[in-house]
Amino acid sequence: MSSWLDYTINGLIVGNVYALVAVGLALIFGVSRLINFAQGSIYLVGAYIGWVAVVRLHTPLPLTIIVVAAAAAVVGLIIERFGLRPLQNSVRIAPLLATIGISFVLDQLVMLTFSPNPRALPSQLPDVRFQLGGGTIGPLDLLIAGVGLTSALLLFVFLRYTKLGWAVRATAQDRDAAMQMGVDVNRVNQAVFGIAAALGGVSGMLVGMYYNQIDTAMSLQATLKGVVAEVVGGAGNVPGAVIGSLLLGLVESYGVAILGTSYRNLFAFLLLVVVLVLRPNGLFVSARQAPPEPLTGTFVAPSRPVHIPRLVLLVAVAGFALLPLFPVSFYVLQTLINAWLLGMLALSLTLVAGTMGQVSLGHAALLAIGAYTSALLSLTLAVPTGLAVIGGGLMSAALGTLLISPSFRLRGHYVSIATLAIGEIVSLVILNWESVTRGPIGISGIPPLSLFGYDLISPSSVYWFSLAVMVVLALLQGRLLSSHLGRSFRAIRDDDIAARAYGLSLNRYKSLAFIFGGFAAGISGGIAAHLYSYINHETFNTQQSILALTVVILGGLGNVVGAIAGSVALVGLPELFRIAAEYRILIYGIVLLLLVRFRPQGLLGTI
Amino acid sequence: MINTSPEPLLTLSNVNTFYGQAQVHFDLSITVSRGHIVCLLGGNASGKSTTMKIILGLVKPRSGEVTFDGASLIGLSTPQIVRRGIASVPEARRLFADMSVRENILMGAFVRNDREAVAQDLDRMLTLFPKLGQRLSQRAGSLSGGEQQMVAMARALMSRPRMIVMDEPTMGLSPLYVDRVLELIRSINQVGVSVFMVEQNASLALEIAHEAYVLQTGRIVLSGPARALKDDPRIRDAYLGGSEAA
Ligand SMILES: Nc1ncnc2c1ncn2[C@@H]1O[C@H](COP(=O)(O)OP(=O)(O)O)[C@@H](O)[C@H]1O
Ligand SMILES: [Mg+2]
Repeated sequence: MSSWLDYTINGLIVGNVYALVAVGLALIFGVSRLINFAQGSIYLVGAYIGWVAVVRLHTPLPLTIIVVAAAAAVVGLIIERFGLRPLQNSVRIAPLLATIGISFVLDQLVMLTFSPNPRALPSQLPDVRFQLGGGTIGPLDLLIAGVGLTSALLLFVFLRYTKLGWAVRATAQDRDAAMQMGVDVNRVNQAVFGIAAALGGVSGMLVGMYYNQIDTAMSLQATLKGVVAEVVGGAGNVPGAVIGSLLLGLVESYGVAILGTSYRNLFAFLLLVVVLVLRPNGLFVSARQAPPEPLTGTFVAPSRPVHIPRLVLLVAVAGFALLPLFPVSFYVLQTLINAWLLGMLALSLTLVAGTMGQVSLGHAALLAIGAYTSALLSLTLAVPTGLAVIGGGLMSAALGTLLISPSFRLRGHYVSIATLAIGEIVSLVILNWESVTRGPIGISGIPPLSLFGYDLISPSSVYWFSLAVMVVLALLQGRLLSSHLGRSFRAIRDDDIAARAYGLSLNRYKSLAFIFGGFAAGISGGIAAHLYSYINHETFNTQQSILALTVVILGGLGNVVGAIAGSVALVGLPELFRIAAEYRILIYGIVLLLLVRFRPQGLLGTI
Repeated sequence: MINTSPEPLLTLSNVNTFYGQAQVHFDLSITVSRGHIVCLLGGNASGKSTTMKIILGLVKPRSGEVTFDGASLIGLSTPQIVRRGIASVPEARRLFADMSVRENILMGAFVRNDREAVAQDLDRMLTLFPKLGQRLSQRAGSLSGGEQQMVAMARALMSRPRMIVMDEPTMGLSPLYVDRVLELIRSINQVGVSVFMVEQNASLALEIAHEAYVLQTGRIVLSGPARALKDDPRIRDAYLGGSEAA
């Protein structure tokens, strides 16, 4: 039986771990106004370096910590130098996307090197527990607390008493003014990335020892938790990040005590959304302080879209429509069906992120809502699947828009964080709402697609159906974009303050974009559910959200034809070259990085 | 009185600057002679601050040359330019609001490594700006506008610059502080620091400047010794009449 004191101790210890991640995020955000989505990957790398050191090299604990910190710092320096510094003059969202790409690449490299199976990371400390009041505490708890406090102290001394530390603080407050004092901002960036990575790496190692297990799923979780703690504490605020982390640790620990482990993450993300909506500058920002620079600037790089004659499009559609009449393999049709489904998701995202400028990182949640709605409608209410899919689209449009609406007032990077969190919340609600969603078991036996009483079972009929749906959605979206509405969307994207001054209601237009986008994504999810016949809370995950984002950037943000071409390319090319599944995510990450760096306007150009 | 013809310290020649498609400077040429106070006058959005940024390397010109002490500044980074001996008092002061006054002033000496001399210079600043003595540990952001201007000037002096560039140093200050700032600029200049300042308030600036240039939508429309310009009817009409300075 655990006492409240135990939960408190556990909360503080976990909070300490989060703090090591969040402080790094805060330092980086402070000097470069960037949310570093690769922070969790460095944490993962730290855990695996720790594993190599402990299990293979048998290093003693103090040396292990030093090795991990140093190696992680090197990774951080490499990321700064080669991943981010070249993007200094790019659009605002470019570095953020680059860190997402880097995190994919790092995670996959770790997975390929060490296999996805979890490994045990022994703690190297005696397994005893001391009585402390009504609770107990072990040596590892003390180690984590000690590392946390020591790091905080070192960081304080660095920031307060060293020249480079002063440069970091000055840059965080006013980058241009710091440069005018002779501060070399690149060195400052290097310093914060090195420190952040060292702290993050050690944190990953400690967590691995704490749970005596490491696996590649740690990465995204750590990034998410660190971001939550950092935003709760106020982006860029280092002491705030520490307090935010401890708070998050306690909230989670007590939440788990009351409701059970599967709710742990739900608390984190709900806390994040509440803070983002009510106090976007964090809990501890004093009133007199101006809010951090609004993180505006979309990714829409100025470009002239490639003009594709209508005839070419017609021929292309006709060609794809006639394809099943030729002796093509089932495998080819299957691949293209996946491309059409991804194409619908990409249509949705290119509208929201490209045309409207709201870079969503949680788009897979819309798939999930559509899929679950359609599956449950057809299974429990015996609705014909054709109608159920439309129901899925409508539900995704309504619920998706409703869920995202609290964050309509956010801008830039904050939109990305909020959508990411909302996506996670949807997945966690699906996991926990067992009476409706069947929880972790998932839904099986979902009936196949049918239209007017005819089951669509043959690959060609499914192929035609999904192609037709996608083409219809694309045509609708094309009409939408050339209408007055499309112009208003772009006006808001390009300058929301000016747009508001012209009397455009931001909430109304953002709602419309999400309603349309939610519908398209929900339809895609609905169709997918009937094709897969089994879905669970992990079927539609963050990886898909990021894949969709890569697709729309590849095609050119806002570009309808580009979204579809991008889907075909990213789904088709790996198949064409027979690239093994475990390398695909790696390739998507690399594609994203290359695009951000060399061709932010995508293949067909932004609109 | 200076009897030898002064040699140029800073020159801008035929500078053309663009923000995207919009051209901000048209063949801008300015010379700051060693030991002089040179003032750049001009209305709102005429391109004055951008001129400062060109000198400091914060904005790159599309064409033209900028030299300091005979060497080109083109292609150098801002920190490199600062190390050549140019200090700045930016528009609206731009202090590090959450750092203490003391830290702000010492940040000015960031490029220096002679700790003892820096400490002595800090003491010297406190005799030059006696009011700051009691404020040293206060947050810079909590000071009044005039006090902040003093900190910004002390901060600029701490690098022992050969030249200081200032962007509207009297903007938003009470008349008392305006006089104090002008007096200080003059005394800074008397110890051998050249000054390039940007101002909207022509009558004040011409009071202390040796030479002045008048910028209008990116073009120099008038230039010459300050004394001559003060009596120039075109200046009087365009600026002195309209100036709201107390
Ligand atoms: N970063 C910038 N991007 C685009 N335009 C700018 C930027 N900074 C200034 N401008 C424009 O350049 C012109 C000159 O600005 P500035 O040099 O600040 O003028 P001044 O200091 O004389 O008021 C103005 O029209 C201003 O709007
Ligand atoms: Mg100006």
